[in-house]
Amino acid sequence: MAATLQLTKTESKLFVRDPIALFFGLVFPAVLLFALGYLYPGFDEPSADLDGKRYIDVYAPIALVLGLATLGLVTMPPIFGAYRQFGILRRLRTTPVHPVRLLSAQLIVHVAVAVAAAALAIGVVVTAFDVPVPESPLWFLLSFLLAAASIFAIGLLVGARASTQVSGQAIGMAIYFPMLFFAGVWIPRSVMPDGLLAVSDLTPLGSAVQALEDSWFGATPSLLNLTVMLAYALVVGLVAVRGFRWE
Amino acid sequence: MPVIEVENLVKTYDGVNVVDGISFTVDEGEIFGIVGPNGAGKTTTVESVEGLRVPDGGSIRVLGLHPIEDRYEITERLGAQLQESRLQDRIKVSEALELYASFYRNPADWPQLIERLGLAGKADTRYSDLSGGQKQRLSVALALVGSPEVAVLDELTTGLDPAARRSTWETIEEIRAGGVTVVLVTHFMEEAERLCDRIMVVDGGRVVAIDTPAGLVDRIGSRQVLRFRPSVAIDDGLLTALPEVASVAHHGQQLEVAGTGNVVHAVTALLAQRRVIAEDLRIEQHTLEDAYLALTGSGSGFSTSGREDR
Repeated sequence: MAATLQLTKTESKLFVRDPIALFFGLVFPAVLLFALGYLYPGFDEPSADLDGKRYIDVYAPIALVLGLATLGLVTMPPIFGAYRQFGILRRLRTTPVHPVRLLSAQLIVHVAVAVAAAALAIGVVVTAFDVPVPESPLWFLLSFLLAAASIFAIGLLVGARASTQVSGQAIGMAIYFPMLFFAGVWIPRSVMPDGLLAVSDLTPLGSAVQALEDSWFGATPSLLNLTVMLAYALVVGLVAVRGFRWE
Repeated sequence: MPVIEVENLVKTYDGVNVVDGISFTVDEGEIFGIVGPNGAGKTTTVESVEGLRVPDGGSIRVLGLHPIEDRYEITERLGAQLQESRLQDRIKVSEALELYASFYRNPADWPQLIERLGLAGKADTRYSDLSGGQKQRLSVALALVGSPEVAVLDELTTGLDPAARRSTWETIEEIRAGGVTVVLVTHFMEEAERLCDRIMVVDGGRVVAIDTPAGLVDRIGSRQVLRFRPSVAIDDGLLTALPEVASVAHHGQQLEVAGTGNVVHAVTALLAQRRVIAEDLRIEQHTLEDAYLALTGSGSGFSTSGREDR
């Protein structure tokens, strides 16, 4: 436990020293929402396209999921790849501390940054654009937790197999961009055609956006969305742990 | 009592015995060198000792412990410096040591450790800003931060410039002086000759020889060659009359005297007695490198004077 704590402390420092990870992981969702809300005409006015909702209302959960995906799929896998490539996991194997502790430390750091990034983004839309504080807080919390678990499970799987920093980055990105599409970053789910929406529902990011949006505005997230996220978290997470390469 | 006992170690990859029945022991407080060509099985052997690889045959005991079954205890008492192992670019020297020190039950006093390794001024420096030599010394520091009884150092000085290599050698001698048994895998015969009490030569996964550096050199004979310009001409007969001298040859003004045993002393004594000064005197003896090349069959066996001797 002491070792995990010490590792988490060290890995947090290293994370903070990476300006790119810090920007995209921590502040980007908040900056994105702030910029869209101020610069995009009509972004904070009710829209007929969205059944009377405002674009900022719809994009707030999308930005949270974007933040999770950036941390889980872009930031984390290359770190694991690098730790394997550069023999950092191997070196750890020669000490009394199992390298799994280093990976736990990384997960802890990423989850902590993800929570901070979400809080920051929520703070911005609540104060600047009159978006309500999540109206079903427990459902919202559960949705966020499942979203994080399913996305980090995928990142962990990439990190479990990537033999180098660059391959971690490449595979992570190859998953990241299509996933963002299904999350509705370019076409919000409210305006997706039915076929596309059905596919989006089966992706962890699509389900995450919907569950967060529902609970944010007082509805109960659908069982489908919650189940999809839970399934990804468990199945992909298990495959990642089973298939983890230490060297 | 031996600190490391390896008996008939076998490790197979893809049906090939990379390590094919290696046996050796390392005694307490010695610096034990392992040399051999690339792919000879050196790293596989030490990584089996460290418990990083599971042998396919044979037995290993380190401090009386089994490297796999007593994994935890081994990691507490054996410090390993791995080949080609880096740290995170943004980690500072002091942070790395503080972190690794927290892993052990009896950590060394790391500020003192980096002082000894000449890294004290670099405590706040990030890993990526260290020179190659400093990175290697940090790697040694991390191998020692748990106060190990045995340190296994794999290709410690590969990629270092000569100055950094020499300062790393001093470090190793200090480690031993501190009571730590050292196993050193190296490519550099000069390094092995200078540091090791005993050297194991490995080739093709087998032990070719285990001996002291001098003992290994003796195995390929004690032929020595003196080259000099005599200040006054000297009769060849006087030289060949010496029992230690095997041959005399002239190359212009230069004389080349080859022999065995105490030939250097015999020739110089004769010259002194005849008041002949040996100008530009050079003495060539077998080095460990000659012995190594002869033992591993990877060279003529007499690199400095390019001649056979057996």
